[in-house]
Amino acid sequence: MNPAAGLAYACNARVLGPAALRAARLHAEWQARGGAGRSPHLAPPLRVAPRCKEMVARHWLEGRYVQGVRKVAWVTSGAPVEFLTALGFYLLYPENHAAICGTARVAVDLAAAAEEAGYSRDLCSYVRTDLGSLFSGRTPVGRLPRPDLLLACTNICQTVLFWYRVLAEHFGVPLVIVDTPFVYGEEASPNSLRYVGTQIDEAIVVAEKVAGRALSARSFERVATRSRRATELWLEILQRNRHVPAPISAFDQFVLMAPIVELRGQAATVDLYAAMLCEVDERIRRGVASVREEKYRVLWDNLPIWFRLRAVAELLAERRIAVVASTYTNAWGELAPYLDPASPRESMIRAYTYPILNRGTGHKLHIMQGMIDDYHLDGVILHSDRSCKPYSLGQMDQRERLTGGLKRPALLLEADHNDMRCYADEQAATRLAAFAEMLEAQR
Amino acid sequence: MPALPAIAARAEVIRHHRQQGGQVAAVLPVHAPRALLRAYGFLPVEVWGPPGVRTSDGASHLQPYVCSIVRNALSFLLSGGLDATDLILVPHACDSLQGLGSILLDFIKPRQPVVPLYFPRSEGAGAHRFLAEELRRVATRMGEITSRAPAADEILQYVVDEETGDRLLLELHETRRQLPLNNADFYRLVRSREYLPREAFETAARQALAMRHPDSAPGKTLLLSGVVPEPTSLMAALDERQVQIVADDTLCSRRRVCPPGRSSDPFERLSQSWLGGPPDSTRGSSMAARSDYLVRQVAASGACGVIFYLVKFCEPELFYLPTLRKALQRKGVPSVVLEVDLNDALSQQMLTRLDALLEMIP
Repeated sequence: MNPAAGLAYACNARVLGPAALRAARLHAEWQARGGAGRSPHLAPPLRVAPRCKEMVARHWLEGRYVQGVRKVAWVTSGAPVEFLTALGFYLLYPENHAAICGTARVAVDLAAAAEEAGYSRDLCSYVRTDLGSLFSGRTPVGRLPRPDLLLACTNICQTVLFWYRVLAEHFGVPLVIVDTPFVYGEEASPNSLRYVGTQIDEAIVVAEKVAGRALSARSFERVATRSRRATELWLEILQRNRHVPAPISAFDQFVLMAPIVELRGQAATVDLYAAMLCEVDERIRRGVASVREEKYRVLWDNLPIWFRLRAVAELLAERRIAVVASTYTNAWGELAPYLDPASPRESMIRAYTYPILNRGTGHKLHIMQGMIDDYHLDGVILHSDRSCKPYSLGQMDQRERLTGGLKRPALLLEADHNDMRCYADEQAATRLAAFAEMLEAQR
Repeated sequence: MPALPAIAARAEVIRHHRQQGGQVAAVLPVHAPRALLRAYGFLPVEVWGPPGVRTSDGASHLQPYVCSIVRNALSFLLSGGLDATDLILVPHACDSLQGLGSILLDFIKPRQPVVPLYFPRSEGAGAHRFLAEELRRVATRMGEITSRAPAADEILQYVVDEETGDRLLLELHETRRQLPLNNADFYRLVRSREYLPREAFETAARQALAMRHPDSAPGKTLLLSGVVPEPTSLMAALDERQVQIVADDTLCSRRRVCPPGRSSDPFERLSQSWLGGPPDSTRGSSMAARSDYLVRQVAASGACGVIFYLVKFCEPELFYLPTLRKALQRKGVPSVVLEVDLNDALSQQMLTRLDALLEMIP
């Protein structure tokens, strides 16, 4: 370890920074108690929300000072990371970073830097945001640590493969690819599972080499246990929304999901979600609804529109529409049964082969149909996300079946998860208002 | 310039094959397991779009930000364009083709069986084992469809025969400068590999190679990169300007001419061959491998500039573009990007950009 880096890390990432973030959390909690910034239509954020924000902020703060102290891996959101956590890597999720930029509404400025470097506007806006950040050196999180290792798993899209090829070229560090063959039917073939297993084995070897130590079976199991527990808790939190009225909205979930993506496998994440579950249960006991006058309950499909999260939530809540479930947030919970801490390697193979984005369009329809029944839903908003083809392709047929066979109004909302230039407020408001009328007519 | 030997049209070839009692497989981009299809009695006919179809049929299933190759292919199927085919093979070349394969299997359910084929993206030994097994799975599925069960030796012979076809295709590309064919005819010849039975393609290729002339000195010379040379009006525009494409790096032609495999097992051999092919965006090759390859192609062919003829929304190609252009720039090779939709004519603006490129080269 570099002594200067170690000292800066100890002071800033372990003492001063966390103290400042703790103070910010206490301030946020105090403000929330006073009712600051409350919407007339939406319930206040969960009391645990500032704690969640503090946890995520600490993670990014650590990233500012971690260089030279811990090994750093940049990973895709669906990558098998339990062995990296067990090996002590600091994990950075470029997708989460891009989402932070989207929420902070700096994504378009950053994307422009990537576009100037020749990257087409037709490429995913997460990629353009992150590459723009890399090329310009600008980021709302202060500084991104340089990776020692890159890990891309194709279980969410092929885009990440190309994206990480660009990163590998830029940084000149090892890139490990875990390629997960797309599951067209019900089950992945034994050949596919064997192939994924071989790649995970190879990835572990490379990660051990970069980390300079061997993977301990005990650590691996411990991390897998925490991953499983956090995932189970997350799923339980989501499933509490089967209650009418729903205690939290999908828009809350989009924000609260950050730790299950980037801090999976850590003890603090398990504690956070355990506390969150308690608070959600308390809301149910007290009859607190995420949308005060909940009348319609709908499903959100695809990534959120990060730069209009609050605006869309308010717009729907005004019309007494509660978005109570989302295929996106559900994706980080539905794999819990696959994770078996007793055999982390084997269970990782299945858990990371079966995410919703690595499965067919019919499977996603089946998941949505199940959620409609389980969560007592009246309709579906399908975010046709220009930047996410794997998630969006199939939505037109899915909508037809939802409106036809299931008789549920389903809206195809054209937008983009990060690029504001692909979103028209007026048009979206008109479409959502029309959707509200459809829900009304259906009753 | 001498005329190109007669090449039968796609529809005519399909009709003839069916009249002989054969079956036809529609194969979407990029990697077509021709030998396997032939071993099971199918004539593989590749579907790169095609251009000029009524796209409204596909538009009710696919969003407008999906490339025109995929949108047109679906429109073509839905409008009856693939009625003469008995199987649809969908290789997993990109997220859009993945989506199309899935929509076909889960929702549209065409009359023809739909068989997906996953091409591995990792580079370890596991990828080779996976691909060989995946090809075995495809063969098993074709056996179920056709009730045929060719022996391994028989399949191997088809693999070896198709390697000959690929070798001739490679030779056409490598001797391009000596072939007294204009661009339109040359691409008509090399792209006939997409639908002609291997035997017919070999005949046409050998006839063309016999026309080689060492003095066929072209004027300005370019390398053509991209997905597919459509709209073909580009070729007419280049011919008008007396520019010759002396090297090809398109996904539909040179970039998928793979070296022969070594194994005596047909599936292993095909896997070895495909994984040993030129660096390619759809396989997710490294940026360095892809740009080194392109720069080498430019140097070997003596091309003075490069046209990137891209289909709009083609993510794999768009990702590599900045790196490739930078690598060419370092070597002093000018390039231009022409991004097209298969259904649009080549615009005046694009021709102006092409002319700007030509002004930069000797």
